[in-house]
Amino acid sequence: MRFWFSVVRQAGRNLRQTWPSQLMTLLTVSLSVLIFAFFSLVYTNMINSSEQLGDDLRLIIYLEDDPGPEMQEQLRRKITNFDRVEDIVFVSKEEAYKRFAEQLGGHRDVLDDIPKDFLPASVEVIPLKNLRSLNQIKLFSQYLSKLPGTLKVQYGQEWVERFYYFTRLLSIVVFLSGSLLILTTIFMVSYTIRLTIFGRQAELELLKLVGATNNYIRTPFLIEGVLQGLIGSSLGIFSLFLLYQWIKGHFSGPGLLELFSFTFFTPEVIIAIIFISIILTTAGSFTSIQKFLRI
Amino acid sequence: MTTNNASVNGTMVELIKVSKSYPPDVVALDNISLSINTGELFFMIGKSGAGKTTLLKMISYMEPPNTGLIEVAGHDLRRLRGNKLAKLRQRIGVAYQDFKLLLDRTVAENIAISMEVSYKQPSQIQKRVKNLLEQLQLSDKYNTITGELSRGEQQRITLARAVANSPTLLLVDEPTGNLDAETTGRVMQLLTKANNSGATVVIATHDESIFRNSKHRIMELDRGRMVSMKEATVS
Repeated sequence: MRFWFSVVRQAGRNLRQTWPSQLMTLLTVSLSVLIFAFFSLVYTNMINSSEQLGDDLRLIIYLEDDPGPEMQEQLRRKITNFDRVEDIVFVSKEEAYKRFAEQLGGHRDVLDDIPKDFLPASVEVIPLKNLRSLNQIKLFSQYLSKLPGTLKVQYGQEWVERFYYFTRLLSIVVFLSGSLLILTTIFMVSYTIRLTIFGRQAELELLKLVGATNNYIRTPFLIEGVLQGLIGSSLGIFSLFLLYQWIKGHFSGPGLLELFSFTFFTPEVIIAIIFISIILTTAGSFTSIQKFLRI
Repeated sequence: MTTNNASVNGTMVELIKVSKSYPPDVVALDNISLSINTGELFFMIGKSGAGKTTLLKMISYMEPPNTGLIEVAGHDLRRLRGNKLAKLRQRIGVAYQDFKLLLDRTVAENIAISMEVSYKQPSQIQKRVKNLLEQLQLSDKYNTITGELSRGEQQRITLARAVANSPTLLLVDEPTGNLDAETTGRVMQLLTKANNSGATVVIATHDESIFRNSKHRIMELDRGRMVSMKEATVS
């Protein structure tokens, strides 16, 4: 208990004495978390959107003839051999005709003189609703078009490709910004602590001389690291939340944000971001003070 | 900390063939062998550069020797690391010539630091600080910023910090260098009091007035070598 009383008092004294550099570090941590969390939020929402849009996404393979039960089984096997899918639906010529008639509604009489087998049979493949499946659709369609008895494979090719490249680009941005900001955060925190150590060299040497344990010397710096991570990341997340509210307020109504339901991080994700920030800043503190303690 | 064989046997500091040199070729200590008994008051004398300060720094292991063995309270200092070394240092009071005071802190904070690291009660620390300042006639400086004190006053604060935690070994470097005769007497009283209550006291000095009529052992160093050892006189 007395140990904690002493080290907390030391940490408080140090924060008071070095507040300008502490403030700079805090702002760096906040900005790093804000930038990373921003890209991460956009990326997460894009993936969610792809799932929503994926509800309507299906590959339709038009076949030359109605497949018999054996042929259906063969096709099913061929498709699932290539990739896992959510569902495979066989539509016979007759069923295609019925669907078309239903779609025409009151105008179905235009079909009266047309033979009931004029529409080709087809197989509807509904891919799994995840980004990997979405990315694979092009390959999937190429594979399906080569199956025997296939006339044509149809899907929203252009849209899927654009979406695929955009999400790829975004994932690279998230990865790069994340890596760079992690390095920046560790560097800034360890640099500040090193400056603090440099400014308090005389005191730390005296502490060693009078018999302070390494924990006694180290813990106040670790407390500073924890506080920088906690306060810095909370500020960053809070700023992003304000930005998110502002965007929602200004871009609500019919538009892009209506099409994609834009959501903020879940509490679990927020806690994870704060926790990881604390780990990073504390690691920055730890490495700096360890260098001093080894001397 | 447990007291082991050597200190039970009466040896607080043991040096065997200790040498220390600094680059490029400055010999600070050359082949020093010495035993200081528990509870002894021991003088190290010699001109500036004789190696007195280096020897004190090696006894507190702020500097390691190049060769030789140093044992304090029975502990081989080369083998002590981390918390064990820290615990030993808590029992060693040190007053170096360069003071090592925190000039932006108050006098009370400077003296308290040696007790804070061994987690003494705040009330106990306050009482001890006041008592020491009274003995050194510095009671009115309790809340003064240390940087505002004279050299002589800073020297006494360094001494107060060294004795504050009631150490078993006290290493003092030139304790009277900046003091007048009266204050010198008061400082020596404080050191003698610590010695009388059981602490081993090692004083490095070139101030003849404090060891001239002493009955304690006096070792003389010259350019890193022990040149004489005057044995203690029995009163």
